[in-house]
Amino acid sequence: MQSLKKNLKHYRLSEKEYEKIVTCLGRAPKGVEWAIFSALWSEHCSYKSSKVHLKKFYSKNERVKESFGENAGVIDLGDEESVAFKMESHNHPSFISPHQGAATGVGGILRDIFTMGARPIALGNYLCFGEATEKHMPHIVDGVVRGIADYGNCVGVPMVTGQTEFHKSYNQNVLVNAFALGYFGPEQKVCTSGAHGVGNLVVYVGAKTGRDGVHGASMASESFDDDSESKKPTIQIGDPFYEKLLIESCLEVMKHNLVEAIQDMGAAGLTSSAFEMSAKGQVGVSMHLDKVPLRDSSLTPEEILLSESQERMLLICRPENLDQLKKIFHHWSLDAEVVGEVLPTPNVDLYWDNKIICSLDPSAIVDSAPIYNRAYEPWEFKNKVTDLTKLHVEDPENTFKNILKSLMGAEKSWIYNQYDQRVGAATARDCSESVGVVVLPSKRALGIVLGCRPYLMRMDASIGGMDAVFHPSLQLALKGFTALAVTDCLNFGNPEKSNIMSEFVASVEGMSEACEAIDAPVISGNVSFYNETKTTNITSTPSTGVVGLKSSLNNIPTDQFKSSGELIYLLKLDQVKTLGAACEVLNRAPQFKGELDVKVINEWLGFIRKTVQEVPISSSKAVGKFGLAYSIFRMTSEGIGAQIKLPVGFEANDLFNETLYQAIVTISPSEKQSLETMLNNINLKNFTYHFVGETGGDDFKIEGLIDLKLKDLKNKYSNSWGKNFETLA
Amino acid sequence: MKRVGVVRFLGTNCDRDVFKAIEQVGHTPEWLWYEDSFEVSKYEALVIPGGFSYGDYLRSGALAAKAPVMNSVSEAAKKGVPILGICNGFQILCEAGLLPGVLIKNEGLRFIDQWVKLNLQTPLKSWGGSEIDKCEIPIAHGDGCYFLEPESLKKVMDQDQIWMTYDKNPNGSVADIAGVTNKNKNVAGLMPHPERAMWDWMGSSSGTNFFEFI
Amino acid sequence: MIVGVKILPREEVLDSQGRAVENTLQQHNYTINGCRVGKYIQLNVEASTEDEALKKAKEITEFVLINPLVETFQLEIV
Repeated sequence: MQSLKKNLKHYRLSEKEYEKIVTCLGRAPKGVEWAIFSALWSEHCSYKSSKVHLKKFYSKNERVKESFGENAGVIDLGDEESVAFKMESHNHPSFISPHQGAATGVGGILRDIFTMGARPIALGNYLCFGEATEKHMPHIVDGVVRGIADYGNCVGVPMVTGQTEFHKSYNQNVLVNAFALGYFGPEQKVCTSGAHGVGNLVVYVGAKTGRDGVHGASMASESFDDDSESKKPTIQIGDPFYEKLLIESCLEVMKHNLVEAIQDMGAAGLTSSAFEMSAKGQVGVSMHLDKVPLRDSSLTPEEILLSESQERMLLICRPENLDQLKKIFHHWSLDAEVVGEVLPTPNVDLYWDNKIICSLDPSAIVDSAPIYNRAYEPWEFKNKVTDLTKLHVEDPENTFKNILKSLMGAEKSWIYNQYDQRVGAATARDCSESVGVVVLPSKRALGIVLGCRPYLMRMDASIGGMDAVFHPSLQLALKGFTALAVTDCLNFGNPEKSNIMSEFVASVEGMSEACEAIDAPVISGNVSFYNETKTTNITSTPSTGVVGLKSSLNNIPTDQFKSSGELIYLLKLDQVKTLGAACEVLNRAPQFKGELDVKVINEWLGFIRKTVQEVPISSSKAVGKFGLAYSIFRMTSEGIGAQIKLPVGFEANDLFNETLYQAIVTISPSEKQSLETMLNNINLKNFTYHFVGETGGDDFKIEGLIDLKLKDLKNKYSNSWGKNFETLA
Repeated sequence: MKRVGVVRFLGTNCDRDVFKAIEQVGHTPEWLWYEDSFEVSKYEALVIPGGFSYGDYLRSGALAAKAPVMNSVSEAAKKGVPILGICNGFQILCEAGLLPGVLIKNEGLRFIDQWVKLNLQTPLKSWGGSEIDKCEIPIAHGDGCYFLEPESLKKVMDQDQIWMTYDKNPNGSVADIAGVTNKNKNVAGLMPHPERAMWDWMGSSSGTNFFEFI
Repeated sequence: MIVGVKILPREEVLDSQGRAVENTLQQHNYTINGCRVGKYIQLNVEASTEDEALKKAKEITEFVLINPLVETFQLEIV
């Protein structure tokens, strides 16, 4: 009995789960079976707490070629082009070892993409850090950014977009979510992971296996405790140079049709790849663990099964193709080792020195995996009010300056200037813009935006979830793009607590409703639970990556004002109103009024897109955090000022509070008529548009409220980062 | 239409971009692999693209400089074939001794991605001639700080070997150097990436000149 | 036989890493009279005498391990 308890603790399984294992096997587990169940039934691999709700996602339409179940989702862009994309978290490793944790996060997401047969062409990153004053935070920020830069720059995939948030709820648990997108041209096929063809060979490719990351998957499924520091040895070390060789060689063997199925070794390493390939293909595989190339010859079979050494792939090839396959890998200076073969029986048979040490049916394990419908409450709009009492902002000039001084308001170029944003020679809009744009070989443009505003999640998880889809979609529409599909990374606290689970369910339902409204299915993603330390949970943060398409490169408005004397218009769809991000600078509790009408928002997005496509808008920007004044200020970054006069009925508060949704567009005076004609045709409830001023001058002026020199404000904005993080200036 | 060899090492990652750029301006690019020597007379010019050959391990460019293909590159250099090394390619040419100096870590110790303005100091017969003065193209490097000790620097200056300089020094390079050439003026190295400035939608098309006038 | 190769930036070269470390140490009130950051490489060479090992290591070091324009080195038998 004592040893059973010990085993359960070591393998992070519950007593109920143990009983399920016994039922599944018809006996008690033995030897490496413990490790296999531990890995495959971990939250990280089995999605046991989230599965019930993930099924609700709007996830299919005619564009979707692959979605959940494969390494990444794939959508058809028409014109014989497709893209694969996905987002994944590497939160726990990045807190323990910021540099390596973030770097291997990038490596892992890239493998998910090229495993599908797509060439990675764009990266994005969504980061949430704690307060600058928190002891280890500068070190973590520095490490994470360097880790992402070291890995992404070296493999040669451009970083085209990102978002960085700061809040005390991330002080002990930062979020590092990596997004990657890959491209399929007319000749390229989508590769999948289901093993098939009895007698085909199982081939191991890439880096040798070491002890790194053993039990990593189950660690990611656990809350942090005081031992976290001592868990360091399980951190994986990434080698971007090796990854680059893997990308090129894998794409080459796929191009030559030498691969029947392929899977990268990610969480739970060889175990999950072998069992997943077998289960998906409904065939068995044999695997000789002693043939796995090792970095350290003292590794036990169990450690080999669980190692999360990076830059490794498992693939299935026909025996007659082996020589050619090996030749191509050799060309790229990589070894390919046959470690087993596809069997007619359903079982995965593991061997050590030609002796069978384990034989399990993967489908049985997957089918009998625990599924939890964790307790949650129906969503209540706790912060919803009928009268907003907390909107009032005194001293607009000072408030505005304080916003620029705050870390949330600070310029973030310190981060993205460390990333190569242009390798690939296809970047049309880089990280300095709200939408990252890469140009496809067909000369169409692909727009990428990441979403989720944690301050809205703190206000309301349902609205925050919808906004994680709508805000990026608005940003895309303002550049003329149609949002096509969504990936997500659901970062939450402990799902065993009903308040966390309630937020999870509310935001997932909100996201799904928004996705369905704009017909942009969720095609891939991951869930990261247990983002809690002792008793503090992070802000529930369902980050998203939204990908959009535009049929030509012409007329993509910039974020920045491009010339003086242009007319500035505010487009306003007034559904939800709140003080928004300014709450946090002014230290007020969040509250909001109204509700989101997804149908109207979808129609509005369509009108915005049409306007941008048909009228020569010079610059455009969604009004985001901190409201109107801050958003207009961000548009002056090329030194062209703004002369604003608020329309009748607007007051000082309207410079700072946030309305879902608002946008700014500018246009040359000669196009005034065509824009207004377009806007007059929009007949939607609560939609209004307003002429608010002109671009130009060297000051930032909002009549009667703010009159400041642009140069001074720009200095404040760009120095703010260094003032918050002295050691990172 | 000229035949231009594009040298690839393990870890080169701007190879396809350079290949495309050469095609775009109407020349004919051809791959050269790091393990192979090649017939020098077949090529009218060579480009060594940027990236992270051998992961930048040991020193940027150091391991690639010892690859077999470099014997042919050296031979081509001797025969006067125009050779351009971009970013990591520049580092490789320095490490191979085909260009003076060495590129060390940026002064600020961080990778820098940004647009820079360049001033032409010595027009070359190839790679844009005198058409590239005041061009704006992007840099993206961690080891881009050009270093030469004062005596050698003087020599390089006296021999008009400074090809291009930064208008505003981003990385601590001595004498604001962004690109240098050899004594014969046929081998050139440049830290910024002209292949990333080939269309207005990239931010600028001033990089086209580098590849057009080979 | 294992030979250690200690590589340091030349005196006249700006050692930006060393400078950064020094600044940090000074911020924490450690007074030091300088700091330089280099690297250390261990070579396992086939040799019967220490002299032979050092000779081989020197050749390898000068072949690729250092760039004499910016680095100096010292060898040691480990």
